[in-house]
Amino acid sequence: MSLKKQEYLSNVLSTHRMSHVEELVNKFKAKRDEVKTTLQDKYGSDIYSPFDSGSFKKHTAINIKFDLDIVVPFKRNSFDTLEKMFDDLYEYLEAEFGDVAEVRKQKVSIGLLFKTDDDGDDVNLDVVPGREFNQDQYSEDRKLNLHLRNNTIFTSDSTYIQTNIQEQIEHINGKSDERMVIRLLKIWKHYNNEDFKSFLIELITIKAFKKDDISGNLWEKLEGVMNYIKENVIKEDFKLKDPGNSNNNVMDTLDNAERTNLSNRMETLIDRINNNAQNIKSYFPLNDDFEDEESSSEGYGIKIGSGIASTPPSTERFG
Amino acid sequence: MKIKNHTRKVELNIDENLLEDIASIGIKHYPNEFGGFLIGEYSNNFKNLNITDFILPNSYKGSPYLFERSALGLEEKFENIFKEKGNYYIGEWHTHPSSSTKFSKTDLDAMINIANCETVTIKNPILLILSVSKTTLNHYTFYIYDDKKLTPYE
Repeated sequence: MSLKKQEYLSNVLSTHRMSHVEELVNKFKAKRDEVKTTLQDKYGSDIYSPFDSGSFKKHTAINIKFDLDIVVPFKRNSFDTLEKMFDDLYEYLEAEFGDVAEVRKQKVSIGLLFKTDDDGDDVNLDVVPGREFNQDQYSEDRKLNLHLRNNTIFTSDSTYIQTNIQEQIEHINGKSDERMVIRLLKIWKHYNNEDFKSFLIELITIKAFKKDDISGNLWEKLEGVMNYIKENVIKEDFKLKDPGNSNNNVMDTLDNAERTNLSNRMETLIDRINNNAQNIKSYFPLNDDFEDEESSSEGYGIKIGSGIASTPPSTERFG
Repeated sequence: MKIKNHTRKVELNIDENLLEDIASIGIKHYPNEFGGFLIGEYSNNFKNLNITDFILPNSYKGSPYLFERSALGLEEKFENIFKEKGNYYIGEWHTHPSSSTKFSKTDLDAMINIANCETVTIKNPILLILSVSKTTLNHYTFYIYDDKKLTPYE
């Protein structure tokens, strides 16, 4: 029997829904809230309210890989340098959580990897410190300078990056079609061990919808985005502006070889699936852990994740 | 008010004032049938549904035994409700003037169409039937759709 690609992809999204791991998500949220509270107690008036970011906040999370980020906006005069801000936060988190978690410095964040609990669950959070760009202006402009450690993110050798994380979250708000494609590409990335940044996938998908005619069913939309990636990432002048700071070009995170590799990957993927629809299963597998739950006879069912609106058929007759 | 459907082991909540608002609009159209769309939000585990609002159709035809509604022109409204509040179009309501709240074959066929519609992202739409007289709401019944069947909440 021929495989209906759009129906299959809907199932892929469904089996990767976050609602399947609700208990684990609740553990993440509880830890996140605990960390936020301790940060507010420690830094008091030196910070603005910490807020949530990451794939969970953006509704692009998949249940095999997701993160909850906490952004901590420090006031301009709280530390002399971004490095001191970063180190102070690291030392505090190490002192506070070091006995229950591995605390480690990452590129722009501090990772907290809590010890595996009795259920075998691992909870990890990223805490991202940022310092307001202009004194007392954060509430209005939301601009932050992040400390950049061992800069391999951008091709420049800067030790900081200016951005607006709220703007990055806003950028994806309400884009339900884009979110579905982003989640599918993240599923491909995860199962195929691709190391392209999720942020790059997010931005390029949104740009594809904006610049190209991406329409049709779920497969056609995914194919449209993959075609856009294939054709554009190899162009020298192709840019992906960080919505938080238009001076940051996220394409700079890839060198020429990586750009060509990404383009080739997309081409192979499209060709192989169009040659034989069954190939879609190897690139976009179902999450076996939750496959059976899709036919559950309990609860309210959702067809394709909780990512898109429900619109009634145009005409119906009742008696 | 909280009611349960034991078939799918789910709960449904609706504020009595919201139900009264729906009923009063239905009564105004007596002796003809009238209806509209239901809006709601699901709990994280998809075991509870909270009906939060309703939307009236821009165009419709009503007679004592028939109600036909159109959803044309409302697409953006449903999109915005989802984008802004995370609420879904979750089903339909209509009146049975001077009649029972039992669903008809026409009602069941409509719900089958709704569940199979590509733009409807929920699998178990709700049907609310209100029995009304000229001045009052007599009874009402909420049904949940599942696999070509409608079963009531209690």
